[in-house]
Formats: sequence, C-alpha cells, structure tokens
Amino acid sequence: MTPVQPQIPRRDPATMMRLSRLGSLHQCRLSFMRILLRRIARENWQVSRPVFDIDRNGVGRAVYTAKGPERAYSLVVFAHDLPDEKRSDRVIADAWDATFTLFDGVPAEADLERLAENVPLQEAGRISRQELSLSRANRSVRLWTHVVDRLASGQQPDLQQIEAVGYLMRTTAVYGSGKFGAADRDVIADRQEMQVPFQAEMLSVYLTRTFVRDLVNHMAGNLGGTQAVRLDPAIARRLGIGNSTGLGMAPFIVNHPILFNNWMMVREEAIARVRAVAQAAPEDAEIFRQLVKRSVVSTERWQSAHPVQLRKLAGLKADLEALLQYLPDWDAHAQRPWNTLIEWSETSLSEEGQELVASLILEPYGALVDGLASCMADSNADAFRIDGSMTVSAVRDLLQESFGWAQALDWNDPANCARAWYVSEEKLEPRMGERFEEPIADYEQPLAPARDAAAAVRALDAWDPKDTIARFLLNHPEHRHTVRRAQMARVAPYGEIRDNTISASVMPVDMLRAKLSFFGATHFDPRSDRWVRICMYAGAPYPEDLTPDNADLWVYPEAGT
Amino acid sequence: MKLSLNEIEATAKRAARGAGYSWGLAEEASKAARWLSNHGQDGVAAFAVLLDKGFARSVDHRPLATDEIWQSDGDLCPLVTGAFLSDCAQNLRCGPVVMQRVALPLLILPFAANAASELRCCVRVEMDGHVAITDGDHLLCPDMLPELAERITVQTSQTTPSWRQCDALMCPDPDSWDRLAMLAHRTYAPATEESRLRGAGAGLSDND
Repeated sequence: MTPVQPQIPRRDPATMMRLSRLGSLHQCRLSFMRILLRRIARENWQVSRPVFDIDRNGVGRAVYTAKGPERAYSLVVFAHDLPDEKRSDRVIADAWDATFTLFDGVPAEADLERLAENVPLQEAGRISRQELSLSRANRSVRLWTHVVDRLASGQQPDLQQIEAVGYLMRTTAVYGSGKFGAADRDVIADRQEMQVPFQAEMLSVYLTRTFVRDLVNHMAGNLGGTQAVRLDPAIARRLGIGNSTGLGMAPFIVNHPILFNNWMMVREEAIARVRAVAQAAPEDAEIFRQLVKRSVVSTERWQSAHPVQLRKLAGLKADLEALLQYLPDWDAHAQRPWNTLIEWSETSLSEEGQELVASLILEPYGALVDGLASCMADSNADAFRIDGSMTVSAVRDLLQESFGWAQALDWNDPANCARAWYVSEEKLEPRMGERFEEPIADYEQPLAPARDAAAAVRALDAWDPKDTIARFLLNHPEHRHTVRRAQMARVAPYGEIRDNTISASVMPVDMLRAKLSFFGATHFDPRSDRWVRICMYAGAPYPEDLTPDNADLWVYPEAGT
Repeated sequence: MKLSLNEIEATAKRAARGAGYSWGLAEEASKAARWLSNHGQDGVAAFAVLLDKGFARSVDHRPLATDEIWQSDGDLCPLVTGAFLSDCAQNLRCGPVVMQRVALPLLILPFAANAASELRCCVRVEMDGHVAITDGDHLLCPDMLPELAERITVQTSQTTPSWRQCDALMCPDPDSWDRLAMLAHRTYAPATEESRLRGAGAGLSDND
C-alpha cells in the first residue's frame, strides 16, 4: 500500500503578498491567455475573416470571427490613418491607429454601421450589450515602417529590430465588463468559454494580433506591388502585441480582493500540488529542463531601460545560471523533487528567479493543475455582505492577521503616507500624487487598506470587545470598507497586499505586473514607476496553425526561433 | 441613454461619496443601485433624491434608538438604516424590525434582499401599507412608493410568492442620472499640468 503523502501547504500570504514579490510574478500555465489558447485548440475553434475592407492608406474596417462549439465572437476593427503627432499611448489620447470591439456573435451590416460611429471614439462613444470589449492600438513607429518597407522591397525585416521591439502594434486600454455600455460580466459569466476571467479581452487581443499581421502584409503589398513579399511566418510568430498599461490598472487588485485572491490562491494551490508529487517521471523532469533553457532565451530577449528592472533582470539571469548549475545535481527520482527544487530556490535565487521556478514546475503537470482554472473567477457575491453579528474583538483579530505589520508603522510620518491615490477630473482615471505637495488629499480613493486598517484597530480598541460590529459601524461608518475587507479575508487569504500602497517608495508597477502576469504577459518593461510596457502572445501560433500540440509551450522561445 | 449595470454601480458609488457618505456606505449605495436596476426599479432616481437631502452631513438620520422602534431625531436615511438592517439580518429571526419615518423607502429593499439572502428565506417589507417581498434574487414591489414612509415593518416570511419575470431597468431617469454624475464629479481632483505629467507617470517616450 502506498503511504499517504502529507500535503504541502500553500505559500504564506505574508510572503506572497509583499509588493516586491507581486512585482516579480511570471506567467504560468494558469495565465488567462494560455487558458484561452488551450481551449481554442482543444475545441477546434474556426477563425475566419469575413470582412477586410482596408484601402491603400490603411483606412477601413475588418471583421475576424472566432467560432467555438456553442457561440461565435467577432473582433470588429476600424483602421485609421493617424498623423504621427497624434500618436500617444497615454489615456489622454483621442485618436489611434486602430480601434476594436469584440462583438458577441457575428455582426450584421447595421451593427457595423453603429460601431463605426462609436468605436473609433473609444471613451467618447457608446457601445452596447452586444459588445464585450473596447480597445485601441498604435503602431510601433520603430518597427512598423521598417517592416512595411522591407516587405515592400521584397526583403524580410531585420531580426535584431524585431527582437528589440517584439510587436508591430501595442494596445493601450482594453476595456470590458460593462464599460461604456458594454455587456456586464454577468451576461457572459455562465458561459463555459468565458467563465475564466478576462477571456473576452484575451480573445480580442489574440485576434488583434492576427489583424496586425494581415495589415502589415496588406500595406507592404500596396506599397511594393509585385515586388512585395509576405512576412515570413516564423518571424510573424515571434511578434506579439504590445501593451502600455498605466495606473488605471493598479487599483484593480485592491478593489477586487476576492477575485485577486482567487488568482493567487489557484497558482499557489497548483504549486503546492506539484511540490507534493512524490517522484518526477523522467519525461516530466525533461520538460522542465528544456523550459529552463528556453527561459534563458526569453530572458535574453527581455528588454528594459528602467534601472530597477535592469537590476532585476541581471538578478534573473544570474538565477538562471545558478539553476543550470544546480540541475545536474538535482535528483528527479528522490522524494518530492519539486519541493526540493522550490526549497533550494528560496535560499539561492532572487524573487524573480523563485517565481520563475515556481511557474515552470507547473508546466509538466497540466493534468494536475489545469482544472484549477475554473476557480479563478469571483462568484462569491455574498462576501460583500457584512456579518454584523461578529464581535468587535473577532474583527480586530482579522485585521491583525492581514495587517498586524501595519500597526507598528508611524502613519503620521510623511514618508509613510507621502502618496495619495485619486481620480482625475480630466480622464476619470486613477492617478497617484504627492499628498503634501498637491491639492489631492480631499479626493483620496480608498486604496491604502493598511493605513485604514491601523485606524480601524485604534477605533475598535475603544469599544467593548464583546459588542457587535454592526453597532460599531453604525457609529463609525468611516471604517465600514475596512471591516468589509477584514471579513472578506476569511475566504480570501491572498486578498490583501501586505505592504504600504501610499509610502514614498511604493512602486505601482509592481501592482501592474502582478495583474499582467496573470493575463500571461511577458517582457515587463517599466517606463517609469507607474507605467509599464509588456508583450502578449509573442510566440503563439496564429489561429490557422493552432493545435492542441502547440497551444501550450509557445510562450517559451526556442533558441534560433 | 442605455447603461450597463456596471456603470450604474460605479456612478452610484462615486455619487454617494461625493454627497459625503463614507466609502463603505458608498459601496453599499453602489450595490443597492445595481440591485434595484437589475430588478426593474429606478434606483438611480431614488438615490438622486436621497443624495440631495444632505443626510450624510448629520448624525440625525441614523437610527439612534434601535431597541424597539428604529428612529432618530430626523427622517431616517435609508442607506445608513438599510446597511444596519443588512448587518443585523440575524435579528430578524427573533421578530420584525420596525422603523419610523424613513426617507425613500425603495432604498431599504436592496438591504432587505441582503437579509433574505443571509437568512435564506423571504423578507417582507411593509411601507405604510405598501408591501414588497424579496428572497434576495427576486423582488415583488408596488409601482409607486412614497418619498417618505411613516412606518416600515421588515419581517421574514415563510410563504414564497409566485415571482414575476422582470426586466432590468438600464435606462434610468436622465435627469437623475445627470444628478448622480454631478455628485460623482465632486470626487474627481481638478486636473493640473503637474498631475497630468506626474500623476500618471511621465517617464520615457510613448511614441516609438
């Protein structure tokens, strides 16, 4: 009889929810774009292009329809001729090279006419319950002209230039979930193919990448005529879609503690399961070894000019060196080899390296971990409701559990509350400012749960511990959001960031990276402490090439490809 | 204008905050407005009236006495009172909750729905003779409710009515929607050139 293996606990939220850790997360097989591509391949979705009506100047419209077993979704594209001086990834831009919406079904002509009036306006237009996302993209001026010119003259683009940028267009905002009149999440949440978070947005970006490849071929063909060649499929495959993401995304993980908990907890559960595997089959160990080598290639292609990321990248490269040196000694047949590996990484590698290893050990174990994807959505609407019968002392204990560390901070020290999050009148987008230098404190958003928890604990201390929290809240409505979060933590141990989100040294890009890593983004390139560029779907097969055999490991480039 | 529930929720939250409620109560307002809209009621219109009353700036509108009849010196605010009702849902097991002089009684219903979900039974709300009933997921509600209810009685109900299919109300009263948008606007910091650059993080070129 096989002895029962004791479980390996999930890693401690006190470690995982530090900002530096969250800012070191990597994609894994439970990332949203990988979940989507596995499904598209498994279910043999058919992608077609019923409309491609684009003129010589790149102006016009196109429709890409992805048909799954039960439903179809269509990316509706409007391509524009944007003057160079109007091109900006900032949310304050009002014109783009291309604008998109993901239509729920196959659009009729009347739908396209309606969308043509609205989608190019983005935030200034309105879409409807028939639409699931709204987005836009700008060309990379560095790469676009180079590729079009080369193809038009019958040559393939220069690989070094391809590598330096990684994409032909980058999206900025990709709005979903009821924004600007779009369908609410509830409309699609029960559909199997949309149950995992952000599947509509990920599908829109995947189809956008196909459109961009088609457009560059089209433009080069127009320019070069018979001399022009089509983009080499191997080069096309290396190209992803870029994305510029700013502060608008950072509050998301604070504002959705249950949802973000579910992402973190699923990944941690997956890691714990693999760590508990008694012995690694030789082929599974080999997959891991190969992917370490391919991660070296990926890391070499990871460009950034930001000093913090450069330091982290140097650390990651050293980590990979150390891992390659360690692997010959690592015994995949010993007891719990993956656990041994993780424990070694915790003492030998930087956080970047530790998180890469944690993501990589999941790769051989799809059968063990992929099913967890169905636990990543937030279907627990009841968690919003406050249990007012809970005692003051019980709530205090909950706050202590998530924010005990915050009680010791001097919250009056300017360094500890230097920043304030606010929403700008101009674009209704979240921003972060200097509390003591700008007139923003009156507009502060509740994005400092640690400070608020410390204040709530002080107020609770003045109350009878046996009193109910309902009575406390009737007298202290200013602590209501904090008490709600504290109670949510009972079902969401990874729901709270265990760091100060308003300190003088906070790096909001850490919050962005945490979220983007779950999308499946790679090559994080912070452009300041509060906006970041990434790459999505680089290496992924295009729809016509996607099969169950290649739907998974495309994210790890092989040397020379 | 046809809105999404997400837009109604987001604007109600900002409007309640703009009217002076705490963030936690603003969150309650947002979920309440969404729930009412999803159940065919114009929660936006009701909130527009409530938020203009300025109740958030005085303690006179929260239940001061809650032993027998919930009451205060002024009219009870349905947001504060409703949140307390939801928090104390378990108390409904012991008997009805009676409230005196509640403004915009429609806004009590989402909180009665919370209580129904918590207790997994129907909750009946009688407002000066008008009766609404909810199990959390459904709502039966008379067409016109008064702007002020002299007396509201909330109690559990063992009989489940036959629910009627009701469409969500995605086109609230336009003036009320504009009013909420104006209140929401109070939560936005005026843009300055500095915030434009620094607040969103200028950094390196974004056109390359």
